[in-house]
Order: sequence, then structure tokens, then C-alpha cells
Amino acid sequence: MGFWDTIEKKGWYFFTSLMGGWPETVVVAVASLLFALAFGLVVALLRLSRWRALRIPTIAYVEFFRGTPALVQLFVIYFGFPDVGYQPSVFQAAIIGLGLNGAAYLSEVYRAGIESIHKGQMEAALSLGMTPASGMRYIILPQAIRTMLPPITTFSIVLLKDTSIVWAIGVLEIMARARQLVTETLDSNVIYPMAGIIYLCMTIPMARIAARLERSRQAWR
Amino acid sequence: MLQLPGIYAEYIHRWLPELLYYALTTLYIAAASFVLAVAIGLVIALLRTSRSALLRAPAIGYIEIARGLPIVVLLYIVYFVPPQLMPGLDWRWFTTFIGAVVGLGIHGGAILAEVFRSGIEALHSGQREAALSLGMTPAKAMIWIILPQATRVVLPPVANYAIGLLKDTSLCSLIGANELMNDAKSIAFADYQPMAVFVLVAAIYFAMSYPLSLCVRYMELRMSHGR
Repeated sequence: MGFWDTIEKKGWYFFTSLMGGWPETVVVAVASLLFALAFGLVVALLRLSRWRALRIPTIAYVEFFRGTPALVQLFVIYFGFPDVGYQPSVFQAAIIGLGLNGAAYLSEVYRAGIESIHKGQMEAALSLGMTPASGMRYIILPQAIRTMLPPITTFSIVLLKDTSIVWAIGVLEIMARARQLVTETLDSNVIYPMAGIIYLCMTIPMARIAARLERSRQAWR
Repeated sequence: MLQLPGIYAEYIHRWLPELLYYALTTLYIAAASFVLAVAIGLVIALLRTSRSALLRAPAIGYIEIARGLPIVVLLYIVYFVPPQLMPGLDWRWFTTFIGAVVGLGIHGGAILAEVFRSGIEALHSGQREAALSLGMTPAKAMIWIILPQATRVVLPPVANYAIGLLKDTSLCSLIGANELMNDAKSIAFADYQPMAVFVLVAAIYFAMSYPLSLCVRYMELRMSHGR
């Protein structure tokens, strides 16, 4: 059967089957984004701490997670953790893996953002009687978020694309459905490009938003 | 409880030589796709910065699509689609290795095109005008004046891309390319030691990528002082 015949006869079936994996893709992406946003902030604050005993392990964590492939990290978590007595579900493993990976990356974004704020800001906050924690919370972070927003948006795009590897540990997201469909019908020439278009429909609009944020940030300065 | 040192003492003489052998394949894939990505990136960047909209439009389209697709999806499209679209041809030469290199090269070409473009655009336009006023053709000005200076600017982001690429080669295991990650999977499940094997493999990837990232930091430090 030719390419166009296949699209005409089975296109809708392929599309609905692929979209069956869309919720899984989105759930993994959103959950690991939230995890990475929260945990990355903790890591960044520890990294900026005055105590070495806190700084050194966080540096090791960031270097290790940025220096190894996300796929390997997923395999360590999903297949390796049972060896030490914890069996995560595929969803847990995917979210923990992509989340820890993302937190290492985001902690550097946070750190750059926090360090971009002039020291005098924190000193002024302290001299007004604020505690260091509330100085961070009410003075530094609200200003730093401006610098951090564009790279965070770019990171969410990368994260969304990275969810396409979690089928390797068994999450039934878009790419897993595509592989199942190909095993079922052998029409890889239609199915994989269609999966690609579904991803593009999500990533290109996000990239537009990221570019706009970047431009408006430059306008503020 | 898992006793990693004991496991390594027992297995490492068997695992390590094999893993290091496949780490070499990983490096080959990374090196070949790096070269391909630089070549594609240069062409696309030149098209993207050209004055004619007719040349710019396909370059923009290429960048948007190749950057917007997840690498795994791109690898699957590159490796599985052409043989089915053109079943009459002989596809035996199209190995997983070549599929991996082409897929990663197409993706990297889009990333590097943007890097090169920002490098070209970072230079003052007076440079080009001066070269043209000396009687150089636009092509000569590009080769002898613009690109040598732009190289300096783009070196750190290109090196950063190379680090990412090295890690991304692990995705080629998903189309069955015989590299480090693929071999790790087969060892891990054959010897039933997933934790020990995957941690060891992570360490090997780290040992390959960390020196590169130290180089990048050194370059960035020098760039911010120098000039």
C-alpha cells in the first residue's frame, strides 16, 4: 500500500492511537517539571550556602547529573533501585529520573539568576531587619525570576522532548504507542512522522513563547 | 543489601574491557555526527543570514523542525522511514551506526546553525564593509574576515553542544545501535546486576563528558577576561 493510501485508510486510527499516549507524555512532563522546579531551588540555595558540608554534596550531585545521560539515570532508578530495596513504578521512575536530571540543570539557572542580583539588595534587606530567609524570599527571588524565566521556558521544552525516552522503561506515552502501532501494522513511514508532528505541535508554540519572553526581558533592561 | 564493592571485585575484569570497547563506538558516533552537524550547521547558518528570503525560509523551517523534534523521534524517522518509503532500493548499507550519525547530525545541525548565526551576527557589520571596500568579494570576506573571528565567539557554545551530543549518543541504543548503553543493557540483564552495571556505565559517561565540561569552563573564563 502506498504512503497516501495508508494515510487515507488508517490515518485517523493512527492519530487517535498516538494521542492515547498524550496524557502520559503530559503527566510525566508536568510532574517532573514541578519536581525539578522545587528541588532545583533547594539545590541552588544549598549550593550558595556558607557551609562547605552543604555545598560539596550539592556540587557533586549537579556535576554527576549533568555529566551523565538521562537514559542511564532512568535505568539506574528503574532497574537499579530494586537492588537496594525500592521498586518504583514506571511513572515514579520516569518522574524521579527526569526530575532529578532537571533539578541539576535548573539549580544552575537559579544560581545564575540569584547571583545576577546586586549584593547591596541583600545587605539592604538585612539592614532593615529582615532575616536572610525572608530577604531571599521577598527581595532577591522576585527580582531574579525575571532573569530566570526565559531559560526555565527553554528547559520545559527540552523536558517535554526528553519524555520521549521514558518508554524505554515502560511508560506508555506517545512514542511507546508509535512503536506498538508499528509492530501491529508495519506502517513506520506514516506513524513515526505523525508522532513527530504531534511533538512539533507542542514544542514550536512553546519555543515561540520562549523567544517572546527573551525579547521582553531585554526590553525591560 | 547490595554490596557494590564485592560485585565489582567479582565482575569488573569481565565488564570493564567490554564496556570500554563499546565506549569507543560511542565516541565514533559522537565524532562522526559532530562533523556532520558542523557541516550542516554552517550551510544552514549561511542560508539563514542571507539577504534573500528565498534562502532564509527553508533554513528557518529546517531549524524549527529539527530542533522541535525529540532526538529519539528524529532517530526513528531517519532510521525506519526511508527504507519503507523506497523499498525497491538496497538498504543493507544503512546500518544503525549510519542511522544514528545521520539522526544526531540533523539535530545538531539545527542547534549549531543557531550558534553560528549568533556568532556571525555578533561581529560588527563594519568588518564586512571594510573587507568589501578593500575589494574582497562577499564570499572571501566571509571566509577570511568574518568566520575566523566568529570562531572565537562560538567555541564555548559549540563545546557545550559536544558535551550534550556525547550524552545523546546513549539514545542511539533505542534504535539498536551497538554502543555503550546498548551493551550495558545486555550485560546488566545477562548477569542480573542492573544497579552495578548502570552505575558503572554512568561513571564511564561521566569520565568522558566531565573533562570536556572543564574545558568549556576554562574557555568561558578566558573569554570573560581576555579581549
